[in-house]
Amino acid sequence: MRFQDAARDARAVVYAGIQADPLVARVAALLVDASPAERWMARAVMNGERTDAGTWRRIFPTVFPEGASASAGAEELLAGSLEVANRGEAARSQYRGAIVEELTARLLASRPSAGVAGPVKRERRVLFDGVPAEIHPYDVTVESPDRPEVYDCKWGSRGINADVLNQLDDARSHAADEEISVRVAIVVFDARRSCQIRLDRSTANRSGTRLVALEDMNDLRETRR
Amino acid sequence: MNERSEVAKRAAQAYRTLAELAETVEDEWVYVNDLAEAYLPAIESLEDGDTLPPGAAIAVDEAIAEIALITDPHKAIDWLSTFPHLVALALGGDVDGPGGGEGGAGRLDGHEDDDLGGDSPFRVLLGGRK
Repeated sequence: MRFQDAARDARAVVYAGIQADPLVARVAALLVDASPAERWMARAVMNGERTDAGTWRRIFPTVFPEGASASAGAEELLAGSLEVANRGEAARSQYRGAIVEELTARLLASRPSAGVAGPVKRERRVLFDGVPAEIHPYDVTVESPDRPEVYDCKWGSRGINADVLNQLDDARSHAADEEISVRVAIVVFDARRSCQIRLDRSTANRSGTRLVALEDMNDLRETRR
Repeated sequence: MNERSEVAKRAAQAYRTLAELAETVEDEWVYVNDLAEAYLPAIESLEDGDTLPPGAAIAVDEAIAEIALITDPHKAIDWLSTFPHLVALALGGDVDGPGGGEGGAGRLDGHEDDDLGGDSPFRVLLGGRK
């Protein structure tokens, strides 16, 4: 099993530009330390119709309590989320995807074992001897020689589909053929319950795949044992 | 009827309307109805509980106003999973339902390994079978 940079087609080049936008890094950095309520707020704002901050402050009284100051992080996250929302319908979906990937990478990189366990990388393919390579790269990888991890990232539970689940399971099973235990997971910035509902209807093999939903994001900080 | 109950009822009605819009996406009809079947009773169950926290009624009404602006059924699907959690945050409570909020450790095949102990940071993918 080995990792390799993905070949860049035209679409990947355009998307790389979005991934490199400082707005993506700024929002992801704020989400790293955000509370669960703040993460829900960010999801709602970036999915939302209205783009005035006052509306969103009223929708989230637990984040922006009346008569009290919200945390600086909450205000910055609201501002960043509104910037994403203001990018327009076509662009915002790409920004949202890039933000989930960046958030995932940052949480993994913040583990106490980061660096020791292996570098956290983006847009990588996983190759196995004698197995045709998958076309689509994995969004985030932890490239430990003996305990590697691969992650696919989605903004919403609707992004969970058989292709994604099969690709993750293929990575796990091919690695097992080489006696390597690879952790495969799908990270979804959406409600755990909605992901489970989506998965309940899927017939793809996923018994070795883990789900990390919006409520579980901090779990990515924990070192793989 | 107390204020909490009225607010929860308004949220549930808005959710029904959102689901009706979302189910016009034919390919996602089953998923939409699965979501509605799970979340609608959960929203309704928020009728029971403590006195409303400050700002809760305004928060829910603003969230209802937000989803009322949606005309794209694909966007409506995105909100079917988000709106209930906003309502729960505002009212205090949860909409994860039986078995939905606990997460859990271990794989779907029922085996534990050194990678997934009892305090595994990862949640299993429910719905898989041996």
